[in-house]
Amino acid sequence: MEYFVHIGILICVYGMVALSLNLVVGETGMISVAQAAFSGIGAYVTALLLLALGINFFLAVILSMLAAGAIAFLVGAIFTRLQEVYYVFGTVGFNVILYTVLLNWNSVTRGPLGIPGIPRPELFGFIFSDNHMFLGLALASLAAIYGLCTFIKNSSFGRVLHAIREDEEATSVFGYATHHYKLAVFTIAAMFTAYASGLYATYISYIDPSTFALPESIFILAMIILGGLSSTRGAVLGAFLLVILPEALRFVGFPSDIAAQMRQMTYGLVLVLLMLYRPQGILGKFRI
Amino acid sequence: MDIIAQIGLNIVIAGAIYSLAALGFNLIYSTARFFDLGYGAYLIVGGYTVLYFHKMLGFGIIPAVILGMVAAGMVGFLVEKIVYRKLRTRKASSTVLLVASLGVFTVAQGLFAILFSSQFQTLSRDIGSERLFSFFGGIITQTQVLILLVALSIMIVLAYTLKYTPFGKAVRAISDDEEVAQVVGINSEKLLGIVFFIGAAIGGLAGIAAGFDTGIQPMGMALLLSGVIAAIVGGVGNVYGGVLGAFMLAFAENIAAWHIGGEWKFAVAFGILIIFLIFRPQGIFPK
Repeated sequence: MEYFVHIGILICVYGMVALSLNLVVGETGMISVAQAAFSGIGAYVTALLLLALGINFFLAVILSMLAAGAIAFLVGAIFTRLQEVYYVFGTVGFNVILYTVLLNWNSVTRGPLGIPGIPRPELFGFIFSDNHMFLGLALASLAAIYGLCTFIKNSSFGRVLHAIREDEEATSVFGYATHHYKLAVFTIAAMFTAYASGLYATYISYIDPSTFALPESIFILAMIILGGLSSTRGAVLGAFLLVILPEALRFVGFPSDIAAQMRQMTYGLVLVLLMLYRPQGILGKFRI
Repeated sequence: MDIIAQIGLNIVIAGAIYSLAALGFNLIYSTARFFDLGYGAYLIVGGYTVLYFHKMLGFGIIPAVILGMVAAGMVGFLVEKIVYRKLRTRKASSTVLLVASLGVFTVAQGLFAILFSSQFQTLSRDIGSERLFSFFGGIITQTQVLILLVALSIMIVLAYTLKYTPFGKAVRAISDDEEVAQVVGINSEKLLGIVFFIGAAIGGLAGIAAGFDTGIQPMGMALLLSGVIAAIVGGVGNVYGGVLGAFMLAFAENIAAWHIGGEWKFAVAFGILIIFLIFRPQGIFPK
C-alpha cells in the first residue's frame, strides 16, 4: 500500500511539471528542453531555505517560485528571439549550464553530495510526515495547478498563445507583442514547476544535481508528447503512464538494478514510435 | 612555457576529436537538412564496438576500429531507413525529425548502459605503458599522435571526395536543391543512405577517438553536444566551418579549464553556443 502511495505522489509531482511544460510546448509551440532546470531551482531554493532559515515550507516554496520565475524571465528574454531548432538548443544549453552550477557550486549546493534531511511541510502546527497525508497535499496541489492551467488555456491570454503557435508572424501583425506573451508563459511555467519540485524535495527529503540533468527534461517532454500536446488531461495522463510503465516492467521480471536504464529506453522508444505513428499523442490536438 | 605548450597540445587533440564529431554531423545535416541527434547513438556504437572487440575479445586495434566504424555506419544507415525515411515521405517538420532523433539517441543510451554498465571506461588496454613524445615541453601520447593523424587524413579524404568524385558532386547537388538534383537524375534516397552510412562511420570514429583519449560512457552526451556546438559555431552544414568551430570550442574550453577549472568546461561551451545562437545563428561561415 505504501508503495502505491509513493507512486501516487510521484505521479502528482510529474503531473504538475508536465502541465506547466505543456503551457510552453503544447499551447505556445516552443519546444523547451529545460524544465528540469527550473525543477532544480525550485527544489534547491526550497531545500536551502528550509534548512538554513527554518522558515515555513509554504513561504519557502513561494520564494523558490519567485527565484525560478526571475531566472526564467531573464533566460526567456534571451530565448524568445530564437527560432525553432535554435530555441531547442538554447534551452538544452541552459539546462546543461544550470546542472553544471548545481554540481560545482560546492559552497552552496554541496555539489554531487546533494542536500539531505529536508524536512516535511508544516501547516498550522500539522506536519505532513505521514505519506497518506502527503498524497492528499500532492493531489490538492495537482488539482490547483490543473485548474490554473485550464484557466490560462481558456483565457484570452491562452487564445493569443494558440495564435502564436499556429502563426507567430500573423499574430504580431494583429498587434500582439508576441515576445511578451512567450516570455510570460515561459515564466509562469517555471514557477509552477518550481512549486512541484519544492514539494518533491520535501517528500523525498534528499536532492542531488543528477535529478535535474538534461535527460530529466527529455523525460518530461516525452510525457507531454505521449499524453498529447495542448491537452491538460493529456499532460497528466502522460505523466501517469511514464511513471507507472517502468514500475510495471519491474513487475514482469526485469531486474531492478537496470530500472533507470529501462526507464530511459522506454521513453526514448515512446518518442520514436509517437513521431512515426501518432505525432499528436494520445489526447493531443496539436502536432509539432 | 611548458604549461602553454601543454595547453596548446590539448587544444589540438580536443579540436581534432571535435572536428571528427562535427564532420559527420555536418555531412548528415547538409543532405538530410535536420539536426540528427541520433548521431549521439552512432558515437556510442563506434566506441562500444571497439570496447567489445578490442578490450573484451582481444582483437587488434586496427580491425577493432574498422569494425567499430562499420557498425556505427550500419546503425546510421538503418536508423535513416527505418525511422527518418518514413518521416520524410510524410513531409514531417524538422522539429518532428529532431524529436524522433532524440528518441533514437535516448534508446541507444539506455541500451548500451544495460549492455556495458553506465561506468566511464577507457578503450586502451595498456594505460601508462604508452610511448610519450615531448613537444616544446608539452607531452603527447602515441595514441594522441595517431588520433591527430587519422583525423587529419579523414578530413583530407572527405574534402577530396566531396570536391572531385561523382558521389561528392551528387551530395553537393542535393544539399543545394534536392528537387532539381532529382530532376537531373540523382537518386536522392539511395544517396541519403550512403551519406548516413559515411557520416555515422565518421561519428563512430569520433567516439572511438574520444574513448582512447579519455574514455566513454553511455549516458554521456558530451561528445555529441561538442560536435553539435562546433557545427553550429562554424556554420551548420558547412563541412570546413565545423572544423574551425571545433578548434575554437577546444580553445575556449581549455583556456577556461586553465583559468577557472575543468569542471566548468561544459558551461563555457554552452555559453559560447548561446552567444552564437543569439548574435550569429548562421555561424561563422554560413552555407
